[in-house]
Amino acid sequence: MSTPILFVIVGKNEPLFEAEIDTTGASAGNDLSTRQNYFVLHSSLDLVEKSSWTTNNMYLRVVDKVNHQQVSTFLTAGNVKFMLLHGGKGEEVVKNFFNEVYGYFVKLSMNPFYKYDTPIASKAFDARVRAAARAYLS
Amino acid sequence: MTSKAQAGTALWAKMPKANAELFALTYGSLVTELVRDYEDPIEVNAQLDRIGHSIGVRCVDEFLSKADVAGMGLSTQCNNLRDTAEVVAKVGFKMFLGVTAEVGGFSQDQRSFSVYLQDNPLSTFVELPSESAQGGDDLRRLKYSQILCGVIRGALEQVNLKVECSIVRDTLKGDEVNEIRVDLKEVLADGAGDDYKEE
Repeated sequence: MSTPILFVIVGKNEPLFEAEIDTTGASAGNDLSTRQNYFVLHSSLDLVEKSSWTTNNMYLRVVDKVNHQQVSTFLTAGNVKFMLLHGGKGEEVVKNFFNEVYGYFVKLSMNPFYKYDTPIASKAFDARVRAAARAYLS
Repeated sequence: MTSKAQAGTALWAKMPKANAELFALTYGSLVTELVRDYEDPIEVNAQLDRIGHSIGVRCVDEFLSKADVAGMGLSTQCNNLRDTAEVVAKVGFKMFLGVTAEVGGFSQDQRSFSVYLQDNPLSTFVELPSESAQGGDDLRRLKYSQILCGVIRGALEQVNLKVECSIVRDTLKGDEVNEIRVDLKEVLADGAGDDYKEE
């Protein structure tokens, strides 16, 4: 069984965007595993802060591992965190995915109706991220 | 017709340029600031129209002075509204915004026409909030590029054409093209606007 992929964008104080992407095509995982995934992701936030001081790169690679699940992180220039929970994808693949999403994120923040560091309600952004996830991660 | 397009390109080459992104973002912050201040989108539309009008009455002067340089004797060229429409779309829009607009949809009595914009430099990056977002329901009535209507209205008013302008189709709202409808109300007699008399 392949692990579902969970992608969140975390701002300064709160999560801005969440997407659970199921690569198997079946309906999203049950409630318990979903919650557990969120827990894993958010608990690795501290590790993100820590590892952000160790490198100059925006892409922090895998910051945390729990069982067979890994948390990859990308830090934007504005210190917004892209975090991806996955079951061991290639580093380059994840990096490409992050770069793609970063592009969409920059476009989104150029939208005068989007206030920076607030939850993202845009349906177009959601659709783009999901499409990118399907393209890169499945 | 092609000569107008050429004149537009020539004029555009002469204009000082601003970065397109800076321009779009500046306009974006202007609109959002108005939305925050007035709350009612209808009122925002009116304000944008007013701002555009002030821009338009100045633009036309610049346009006429520079168009002379580009070798167009404009005062003698516009014989009917069709000519005017062509000049607005092909020369005016090209000169000030760097985009080519198309003209079409003339009414039977030749008193109204449409300007079609494939590419609207004002709305780069813009995505109107969906209705589910708070306050989003109201923003569906916002006409983001209403300022263009104001500019056309102001500019044509200066050359004695009283028009009404409105945005009837908007790519931000899912239409495939931006359409600005221009309706000629009356041709003012020379000297009608004492305040604005050119000489």
